Amino acid sequence: MSTATGHEKALDEVLSATALHAEHTDAAAEFPTAALDAMRATGILGLLVPTQHGGGGGGLGDLVDMTLRLARVDMSVALIFAMHCQQVMAVVRHADGPLAERLLPALGKGNVYLASVTTERRKGGSLLSSESTARQDTGTLSIDRDAPIVTGGQHADAFLITTLAPEATSPSQVSLVYARRDQLTIEIRGGWQPLGMRATQSVPMRLTGRVPADQVIGAPGRFHEIVAPTFGPLAHIGWSAAWLGAATGALSRILHHIRDTGRSQFDPSSELLLTRLARIRGRLDLVNALLRHTVAAVQSAPDTAETSTQLLINNLKVQAAEQCFGAADEMVELVGLRHGYLRSSSLYLERVFRDLRSASLNYANDRLLLVNGALALRDRQVNLA
Amino acid sequence: MDAAFPDLLKPFLKYAGTQPITSEASLHELGLDSMRAIELLFAIEDTYGVSMPDELLTDRTFATAGSLWDTIESLRGRTA
Repeated sequence: MSTATGHEKALDEVLSATALHAEHTDAAAEFPTAALDAMRATGILGLLVPTQHGGGGGGLGDLVDMTLRLARVDMSVALIFAMHCQQVMAVVRHADGPLAERLLPALGKGNVYLASVTTERRKGGSLLSSESTARQDTGTLSIDRDAPIVTGGQHADAFLITTLAPEATSPSQVSLVYARRDQLTIEIRGGWQPLGMRATQSVPMRLTGRVPADQVIGAPGRFHEIVAPTFGPLAHIGWSAAWLGAATGALSRILHHIRDTGRSQFDPSSELLLTRLARIRGRLDLVNALLRHTVAAVQSAPDTAETSTQLLINNLKVQAAEQCFGAADEMVELVGLRHGYLRSSSLYLERVFRDLRSASLNYANDRLLLVNGALALRDRQVNLA
Repeated sequence: MDAAFPDLLKPFLKYAGTQPITSEASLHELGLDSMRAIELLFAIEDTYGVSMPDELLTDRTFATAGSLWDTIESLRGRTA
């Protein structure tokens, strides 16, 4: 049984809180605190923590199912959830020893919201290097981290922060450090007024503080060993699920509209209507197939760093971003100005369109295409994963 | 390692600085990413007259200067 169906009641609560406030959080660019409160109260934030630590025992497929459902209603909430799960999975798979013993039961309760601090001013979203130094003395690690974009940073209970390892001799010796909110001094250094994804409230922040030196996830300076098997795949799979869910929800609302209250404005024998619908549906089927296949490939691959698997994971991100935004664009064309362009429409396609415009920029497609071009040159046989 | 090999590597290692490149040096830590790795591959094939089979184009082959040199040596041995 999928955990998404096993957690149906919890999901319903989160969806109700999301639906009630989504219009406001988008308009005001405010974090969806009611949805987050519902996620904490229902414990679904612990979805990916193994049951022996009190968590939901869910896997990648469950993360995808939940994210798809949330995104049908609000892509910002879905993205917040998926990114939290990416952080949790990093802890589940890579924390060990006393740190794992402390963290996993806490995360398993599902009331701790974990935010990700990986962006830096000069390197953008590039994960594998850092310019922020951490100092280590007498068993503590001093953090001073300036991050231009921290999704949900104002509301997170704890953070996973990338920073240079204390003894680093190269900018690529990055550590992933866990820090609770009460271990840090947090300064919000600017506002958040974007085109879409407004409810993620991804503000610039400076985080300073001291944490016990054992709060490093995985080996110090070896964050790249977390990226290839966990951080990268979870990001691309989680984001793609959020984008597909948002486009799927929009198409569903349009179809209800055409079959119901909007009936008189559409002619079911119109070839233009039918071919547009078919193309939109086709884009969603393509992304869904690629998403499900990538999840299966990641779960069965002995080494996700292997070239063909890396290519597949990156291609999922690029294709999902392009196809889901393309689908939203065609949906606007299909329903026209009133329901496709006005904020007042109950179909809220205008919001989905703005939200999905971020997809190609959220870890830029251009950057991933360069990587994939280089990887493609490694595989003359073209072994498709 | 061939004395000239570190000099061949250097332009592809953005964090190499002026320190000598030892055979244990992690190429990732010296700044080799997947895009630079493919440029380095072409340079190696041109310089040493070898052709790296696809199955050797892994992170393990490119892990350290020494692992990469060993791969080149084994390929040269094959063609010799």
